[in-house]
Amino acid sequence: MGTLDYIWSGVLAVFLGPELFSLFGLPVSVTLVMIFAGFFLGIAVGATPGLAGPIAMAISLPILISVFGYTPDALLPVMGFLIGVMKGATIGGAVPAILFNTPGTPDAYMTTLDGYPMTRKGQARKALRVAHLSSVSGDTFSDIVLIVCAPFLALLVEGYLDLPEKTALLILSLSFIAAVVGGSPAKGLISTGLGLLVAFVGTGEDFYPRLSLGGPVLAQGFPLATAILGVLIVGAVFKELADIWREKRISGELTTIEDSGDQKLGFREIRRLMPHIGRSAVIGTAIGALPGIGSTLAATIGYTVGKARYQKTKSADDPDFGKGAPEGIAATEAANSSVSGANLIPVLSLGIPGNAAAVFLILAADSIGGFNPGPSVFRFTRDAVNPELVIAFGLFTAMFIANILNWTIGGVFMRSMGIMTRIPKQILLPTVLLLTLTAIYVQETRMDAIWFTLGFGVLGYAMRAVAMSPLPFVIAFILGGKLEESARQAFAATGGDPYFLFTHPIAALFMALSVGVIVLTARNSRAKASGATT
Amino acid sequence: MHRVFKAGIAILAAAVMTTGALAADWTPPGPIKLIIAFRAGGGVDTQARLIAEELEGRLGWKFIPEQVTGKGGMNMASALKDMPNDGTAIGMGVTETFGYNMAAAPKSGMTPADFTGLTTTAGFQMGVVSPASKGWKSFDDLVAAAKGGEDIRFGVMSPRLADLAYLLGKAQGVEFNIVSVKGGKAVLDGVNAGDLDVGFMAGIQGKGVAAGDLVNLASALSEPLVQTPDAPTFADLGVDFNSDGYFVFVGPAGMPAEARDALAAAIAEIVADENSKAGGLIKKAFGGSATISGDDLTVLMNNDYKDAGALLDAASE
Repeated sequence: MGTLDYIWSGVLAVFLGPELFSLFGLPVSVTLVMIFAGFFLGIAVGATPGLAGPIAMAISLPILISVFGYTPDALLPVMGFLIGVMKGATIGGAVPAILFNTPGTPDAYMTTLDGYPMTRKGQARKALRVAHLSSVSGDTFSDIVLIVCAPFLALLVEGYLDLPEKTALLILSLSFIAAVVGGSPAKGLISTGLGLLVAFVGTGEDFYPRLSLGGPVLAQGFPLATAILGVLIVGAVFKELADIWREKRISGELTTIEDSGDQKLGFREIRRLMPHIGRSAVIGTAIGALPGIGSTLAATIGYTVGKARYQKTKSADDPDFGKGAPEGIAATEAANSSVSGANLIPVLSLGIPGNAAAVFLILAADSIGGFNPGPSVFRFTRDAVNPELVIAFGLFTAMFIANILNWTIGGVFMRSMGIMTRIPKQILLPTVLLLTLTAIYVQETRMDAIWFTLGFGVLGYAMRAVAMSPLPFVIAFILGGKLEESARQAFAATGGDPYFLFTHPIAALFMALSVGVIVLTARNSRAKASGATT
Repeated sequence: MHRVFKAGIAILAAAVMTTGALAADWTPPGPIKLIIAFRAGGGVDTQARLIAEELEGRLGWKFIPEQVTGKGGMNMASALKDMPNDGTAIGMGVTETFGYNMAAAPKSGMTPADFTGLTTTAGFQMGVVSPASKGWKSFDDLVAAAKGGEDIRFGVMSPRLADLAYLLGKAQGVEFNIVSVKGGKAVLDGVNAGDLDVGFMAGIQGKGVAAGDLVNLASALSEPLVQTPDAPTFADLGVDFNSDGYFVFVGPAGMPAEARDALAAAIAEIVADENSKAGGLIKKAFGGSATISGDDLTVLMNNDYKDAGALLDAASE
């Protein structure tokens, strides 16, 4: 089969898959319905503070698998649903950040900086329009790059990256995240170190589990969901509850805000936003294509670069970044949304997840079987059909359907979503906690998992209390096993050379960058700190 | 969301009801947890899922496959050991786990006596496989390359195979860089990606060898390979040990005889049926099914465990 045949088979697999019902004589496939369902769920959870795409994916995955089973036919409906959730949550995520100053996910943190000031000025719906436009533009751009580049990028990556280079790249990703996301490089490194330590419990090559204290509880290590959901969600819930408690002791009611000014987004304003969206989309896509580097970093860089540019070009009466500038929302949202498509490049080509959403896509592929993210996916075999490649193009089709939904229904839906965020936090947060614990018990079916989750929740709370980002912890936990595996293999493959990270030029370059990024960020933050005091 | 959940419950309920109607003498008291010891996409995983799918179709039994990978099947074994022994929890792995691996890890506290062997499905077609792009036509070419100073990366998926690769190098007077990866699929991926030069594959190389992308350089068995009968066996190459072994279904110790026999018979019937997906795969990749069950399987597992010491001693010399 030629390339075009593969693309066409992928499209057909989505539209002509197993039929659920027919509409006016046209068959409607299960996959299509599942993408729609996932999309609406995604947009709803994305717009709810405290909830985000990954938790919805975590809860739905076991239910989906028990409904669809383990046959290859289940792949597209299940993964289509997850992609729908991922896409819907991407645009929904800006809603709580703008309306309530509470980012649902770390990557929406920068959105609050300008979004919430706009809300307080009575420009909430306009801010939501800006977020929608930037988010969907960035996302669509990144998907186009994924589809055009993933096949050859996968081969390119394999061609240049031998085992030592892969190990070095993982180390570079970790140090990058530690340095840039962690608040300060030292806190980031501590967070990363904790993540690695936890990842190494119960794993390893030996026949008996290490670091398990001799008991059976830790022998299988910490399940992925307990560590990730515990630190990210349960930790956030604990922190929010503590904040509410403190707030209530100090003051009383929330203030209400009336709409003021024009809420529409005119053509001239869109033209002013476009350069910011374009720049951030490129930044986000480039960062997403590197294995293991997530959307928060992209949002941070997009915002920082956008701010520098904006200071030079703005007219005197425009608000500054951080004071309610629509450009600030555009720069952040375009960057963090454009990561998601490009993030699937390392997922499909290397099996390395760049963000939590990608983790669940890999989990789905692993549990169903028949699709193994890795270099074998993009083999364009001419004589025999490569079914994995057909699935890959089916997934791309699903992403584009979700994008069209994002452009059309998403905009309308998101603006009316403000109502959902009126649920009082004292009701919302315990609900989120209950949902999370239920989701984990469904997956692990043992009480230990619940204790692990609560323990990680306390850790997540403590990290937030000392202003340490939990994100490096999560990424380190996910990549820890992979890092050890590839390091062991690289060591063996080079005939037991202990300096394998430094004797191969590309690996040595990655290692130099790893050290460099830590040193540079440390110096910058010190310069900033001393600049602030003088 | 709610509707999806309801649908799930309805399907589960339907599955339970049909179960009662179809199976004659023994029916599982609930859905069967199927613990798969190796990573998705490999030989064990593919077989386990196809067999479960076929059993669901034929008998209406409900399976919940779950991957508990790592440590050469030992993680699966320790997860399975303490599960209910009424037939609602079974595992699929390889005989090597219960032989060499348990003998090599006395600290794990497990022996074959902690398990009930159900049935084997097929014997390994364990070959020493290299990519055609390397240009090696026979095992001698590989040895010549190694003696010519080339570093040879030898992919293995278990400690026993690592021992065998070491002994193979020793017998041939060369030294391999032995790289352990997780599962046969990972060896195949590594060879395809150029990360490995040669590696053990227990049958998944069949398609690649037939297509001319891969070459079976040697048989790691006591017998020649079905697909490449001309390749030398380990005995021909001066190694006194081999990697003979089977893919095997097991349950926790003390499983009642009717549950054990019903499960073993149902599985054996499917793998022997070349028209079923599972049987077809086994015919293609492993040259046909090999089902050993009941007391024969118990004896086989016990002997593997007892004989493992000799290989351990030889490899640590």
